[in-house]
Amino acid sequence: MKRVDVAIVGGGLVGCATAWRLSTAGASVELIEAADINAGASGQNAGSLHFQIERRFLENGDALAEQASSIVALSRIAVEDWRGLETALNADLHVSMAGGLMVAETADHVALLERKATREQREGLKVRTIDGDAARAIAPYLSASVLAANHSADEGHADPRTVTPALAAAARAAGATIRTHSAVHAIGRRAGGGFTIAGNGFSLHADQVLIAAGAWTAALCTLANLHMPLYPVALLMNATERTAPMVPHLVQHVGRRLSLKQTHAGNLLIGGGWPSRLAQLPGGGFDLSRRATMIPDSLSGNLRAAIDVVPAISRLNLIRSWTGVTAISADQLPIVGQVPRMPGLWIAAGGSAFTLGPTFARLVASAMAGGPSEALDIVSPARFEHLNGFMG
Amino acid sequence: MSGTRIPGETRGAAITVIVDGAPVPAFAGETLATAMIAADRTAFRHDTRRVARGLFCNMGSCSECLVTRVADGRRIRACLTEAADGLEVRTDG
Amino acid sequence: MADILDVAIVGGGPAGQAAALHLAGRGLDIAVIDEQPRPGGQILRQPPASFTVPGWLAGRGYARLKHQLARFEALDDIRWLGGCSVLDLAPTMDGLSLLAATPGGISRIRARHVLVATGCQDLAVPLPGWTLPGVMSAGGIQAFVKSQRFIPGERILLAGTHPLQLIVAEQVVRAGGEVAAILFAQPRAGMIATAMRHPLIALRRAPDLAAAASAMATLRRAGVPVRFGAPLHAISGMDRVTGAVTGMGEIACDTVGLCYGFVPQSALPRMAGARMHKAGPAGGWACAHDHWLRSSVVGLSVAGEALGVAGAAAAAAGGAIAGIGIARDLGLFAPEQAERMARPHRHAFDTHRAFAAMLDSIADPTGHLPRPDAETLLCRCEDVSFETICGAIEQGGSANAIKLATRCGMGACQGRNCEPALLRLLGDVGRGDDPGFTARFPARPVAIGDLAESG
Repeated sequence: MKRVDVAIVGGGLVGCATAWRLSTAGASVELIEAADINAGASGQNAGSLHFQIERRFLENGDALAEQASSIVALSRIAVEDWRGLETALNADLHVSMAGGLMVAETADHVALLERKATREQREGLKVRTIDGDAARAIAPYLSASVLAANHSADEGHADPRTVTPALAAAARAAGATIRTHSAVHAIGRRAGGGFTIAGNGFSLHADQVLIAAGAWTAALCTLANLHMPLYPVALLMNATERTAPMVPHLVQHVGRRLSLKQTHAGNLLIGGGWPSRLAQLPGGGFDLSRRATMIPDSLSGNLRAAIDVVPAISRLNLIRSWTGVTAISADQLPIVGQVPRMPGLWIAAGGSAFTLGPTFARLVASAMAGGPSEALDIVSPARFEHLNGFMG
Repeated sequence: MSGTRIPGETRGAAITVIVDGAPVPAFAGETLATAMIAADRTAFRHDTRRVARGLFCNMGSCSECLVTRVADGRRIRACLTEAADGLEVRTDG
Repeated sequence: MADILDVAIVGGGPAGQAAALHLAGRGLDIAVIDEQPRPGGQILRQPPASFTVPGWLAGRGYARLKHQLARFEALDDIRWLGGCSVLDLAPTMDGLSLLAATPGGISRIRARHVLVATGCQDLAVPLPGWTLPGVMSAGGIQAFVKSQRFIPGERILLAGTHPLQLIVAEQVVRAGGEVAAILFAQPRAGMIATAMRHPLIALRRAPDLAAAASAMATLRRAGVPVRFGAPLHAISGMDRVTGAVTGMGEIACDTVGLCYGFVPQSALPRMAGARMHKAGPAGGWACAHDHWLRSSVVGLSVAGEALGVAGAAAAAAGGAIAGIGIARDLGLFAPEQAERMARPHRHAFDTHRAFAAMLDSIADPTGHLPRPDAETLLCRCEDVSFETICGAIEQGGSANAIKLATRCGMGACQGRNCEPALLRLLGDVGRGDDPGFTARFPARPVAIGDLAESG
């Protein structure tokens, strides 16, 4: 039977980046993807490079916001990873880091911004709070309703269409094997260490396994008899027709669901976490193999938020709305690292994995090779070990 | 002149639309696309290489005939838009 | 409008009209929605109300359809929603929900039953020069003549494989226009042989054959060359069409009509999640259906070309069947009564579809399509070249993966133009089972400002 150092399940950004890092360091790697490379959230997300604390961490009270602010430490590392990625891959990923603004339209929002900026500054992230006029001086397209903004000079966006394929190409060039259209059917522990992975037309031994399969991660963990508290969510995204350059920044909203940017091709991408309805299985459960359906109020709500913040969007045609399925964890923070009760089994999933994905991959690859893993402590699956007290 | 209005039939009232700043004669009931092609204005938009593109399907399906309505900046399908007196459009989009 | 309609019919062509005629007069709330301001569909695309056109479409082939249109226009208990683009179709708990861009803004329309009768569009055929202004679909040229009473060029070349181009050319010539030539890529002998293999089918549709023969005679009298085995290779010009490179040499013209067949307008049933299957040899997707032309989505019926392109007469027969079926599902007809009413329409439906199948073989573009060159754009919206797409195909991956990798199909037309060409290329390398692009909202581009008000 074929033997590799590491088997990676999932051909998204994290899987491909980890395959690249590991094979560059000399490990033998086989990456197994059930569909096509970049077919899931890695290719379907809107490409934000957001280093400020996400609004979703702020909307559920101070306690969660406080806990989540620890992710800023990873965001700071991610800034540097993104700055170096195009050079390291020798590829044009349309990385633009022209800055990002998280705006506020009410006094309550402004207070939220200020608390958020305090947390970020405490964690060492370069963010400043500016008033509406100062924001409009940087971003003249912003509406008069913007009262204040947090400005991060490092934020921006990259092209989800090209990032993961470039990582996959680099992994292949470094010697990794990439197998697509191969679903994994079994993950078994071997006596004496290591794992057997089997699926459509293949089976192999691997010393270590990384499951980085986005919304499918929890189901794959069941193959290893593990619970992983990851829940699929389907998010709406919208693209306008191409237009002349007008929004060079990443624009987010602290009090409403909105993220907005203009791609290198000229389309404005509008998202921000508006839900779609996941397909269901008869008898309960979600069917991730079928397309999620759009919720009409999500569409109008998202577009209204966009127009309120950037009024010039109103005249543009919407040409495409789509849904990407990602996963959030029980405490909202990503789950990245080794499962303590199952040495050699690694997880990387749970959202924010476009912005943080290259960092997750670099840190996981290094830790798999025996390097330090402290930076991943805040997102380690160890915090959910109690769920696996009767598993494994 | 590119193309011909079929003679011997009654059309709507004579009106004028404005394309790229120039007056273009039309008749009420005509689409913007008809008025433009009749005036030999066969370029409706420009692609990413700034190459002129013309109408293709003439039934609202292909979006090749998107022109910019000056009044509100919106891009509209010329094949489905009825010409109205004074309607002003641009083809530089 | 009622909070929830009994029936929403999308498309005011022969199929939609026939369904409406069977559903009207029974106390139902019915709306018929169409992108054109007046009913008729593409086959009877009417001139604007401000025009007076004596003897409009006087040909014998149009008589029955015009009669049906007149009956439809006389209905006083259906709501005509002209100039409305349907953007979305989705199943709900109690029927289906449509989102439409209307002249008055965005409107949500809910209905217990929806009939999609959205017709077809010309197959878009990429070849060198096809993005020059002056290159149109043959159907587009015909729509100018029928409805706008306008000949959209000084010298028009028609090329392809579908006999409809004879009818288009005849209409141009009768209207006083100049047709440079009509080129069939396939040899004449093969076309005749195909027809001869099905003499009974051909005989039953004698008027259509007569119309084609009469068109040929008109064109001959006008001195218009009709050539067979004469492929179109490329269209030339700098910023507009000035000529075409063909199997007969260079032909000067300022307008080219491409006529290689038709594909169903399948966006709405695909958005609703209906089961689809491959349509005819020209490509595209047809909606799977049962005996009453109901799709796999509860409450959604389909008639006309969305079932597979079969022409106006089949569409009208199918519309009648679907209309009777919906009335039956609404409890207006007992099953035996509905079956009795539908019987003649089923007979007509089968006859016309048999003819359409024969026409499909005669007009089959497979093997006669022009070759794109490296720079030819397959995706006209996002400007994605043949070379780029071939490179992406070599990487493996589905049509969706190629869309993501190249932007092919990501533009304003939602892949309507490029999908058949991309799927042909995938078929050429043994990946003919690809399910095609995932259908996305909105079916037509629509201003963000309008949509934001739709919640």
